[in-house]
Amino acid sequence: MAVKFFGQFLVERNIVSRELLLKAIELQDSVNLKFGEMALSIGMISTKQVERVHEAQKTDDLRFGDMAVKLGIMTDEQMKEVLTRQKNSHLYIGEALVKVGALSADELPRYLDEFKADQAPYMVDHVAIPAGVPHPELWEITADLTFKMFTRIVQLTFRPGQCRIINRIEPNNTIVSMRMSGAADAEYFISVSGGVREMIAKAILKEEDVSGEQEVVLDDTVMEFANVVLGNIAAKAAQIGKDVEIHPPEVVDTDGVGIDVPAGGTGLVFPIHVMDELVALCVIVEK
Amino acid sequence: MKKVLIVDDSIAVSRQLEKIIAGSGEFEVVGHAKNGAEAIRMHQTLHPDITCMDMNMPVMDGITALRTLVAMNRDVKVVMVTSLGGVGDKFTEALKLGAKNVISKPFEDDKVLAILRGL
Repeated sequence: MAVKFFGQFLVERNIVSRELLLKAIELQDSVNLKFGEMALSIGMISTKQVERVHEAQKTDDLRFGDMAVKLGIMTDEQMKEVLTRQKNSHLYIGEALVKVGALSADELPRYLDEFKADQAPYMVDHVAIPAGVPHPELWEITADLTFKMFTRIVQLTFRPGQCRIINRIEPNNTIVSMRMSGAADAEYFISVSGGVREMIAKAILKEEDVSGEQEVVLDDTVMEFANVVLGNIAAKAAQIGKDVEIHPPEVVDTDGVGIDVPAGGTGLVFPIHVMDELVALCVIVEK
Repeated sequence: MKKVLIVDDSIAVSRQLEKIIAGSGEFEVVGHAKNGAEAIRMHQTLHPDITCMDMNMPVMDGITALRTLVAMNRDVKVVMVTSLGGVGDKFTEALKLGAKNVISKPFEDDKVLAILRGL
């Protein structure tokens, strides 16, 4: 019940040993050349030009191929040729596992089907993000997986509202925040009422009754819920080539005044409509 | 019965894991550590058969503690616990450093127990 990659799925089920998975990944690393390595191996660019591209990438966030074109080192056609070669020679983890003898070629399709079925609940559904917000695909994954985790883990019945831009996060019983960095600098917030916090606590602690639990434990369960959700968002983001680092959760706005979106930032709210309860997912994207 | 040490700074996660692990009747949870440094200390006195360790913790993170435990005994059985289990690089890094497996969150009771039984 989490976003995974194929190798992990197999190791977790003791279908493939940890040692053979590492061997397969090593094989992949040796076969799957990065863009610059591929361009170099077919003599399209020189070592010196590779260094020039890497240097330029330090100040300009462009992929290797785009940067090489921008610097006039490669033409558009050459870039496409390298991409095609990369794609055609790519060794997938399933094939690598067969090559190292961890799986037979006959078994592979069956395990791939089982993996797809396992991951089907985490396929991202479309969530509309207001125009002009940076990294919209990331917020689409963020909202969709948060909604799905509320359904699957907390068993909350709700109706997701339309995403809109906000200047302020309204106060609530508990607001937990986690910082995201890497592909996007942002702050992720889960804001819950007392009733929903109780539901989260029951789900995380696997208890029928949490009425005797201390505040600190109840808040801890919301932090853990946010941690689980954002970890899975990071895994999904990695699948689309966005590496997101997540930082530890904390309870914020403890004095209950709300949180203003800082100047230059963009605040997004994804309302979660539950009868008589106030729940929201908010994101503040930094400039 | 195999002895298990749980290492996590979250009370909620520790309780959740203990419920799954001890509830099976197959393992005994011998201790809870709140960070990597505490885990190393408790490891030396409790001698657990298996250690379930969170990756991100204050004071000393799980990866640093894993490195230390593997350096002390390369056959040590450490399973990393993380919500980032699905991030391929993190998963692979843990295995390369000597973790025997990685438990992803949210927990699935049968998967957690299957991993521990497989050690």
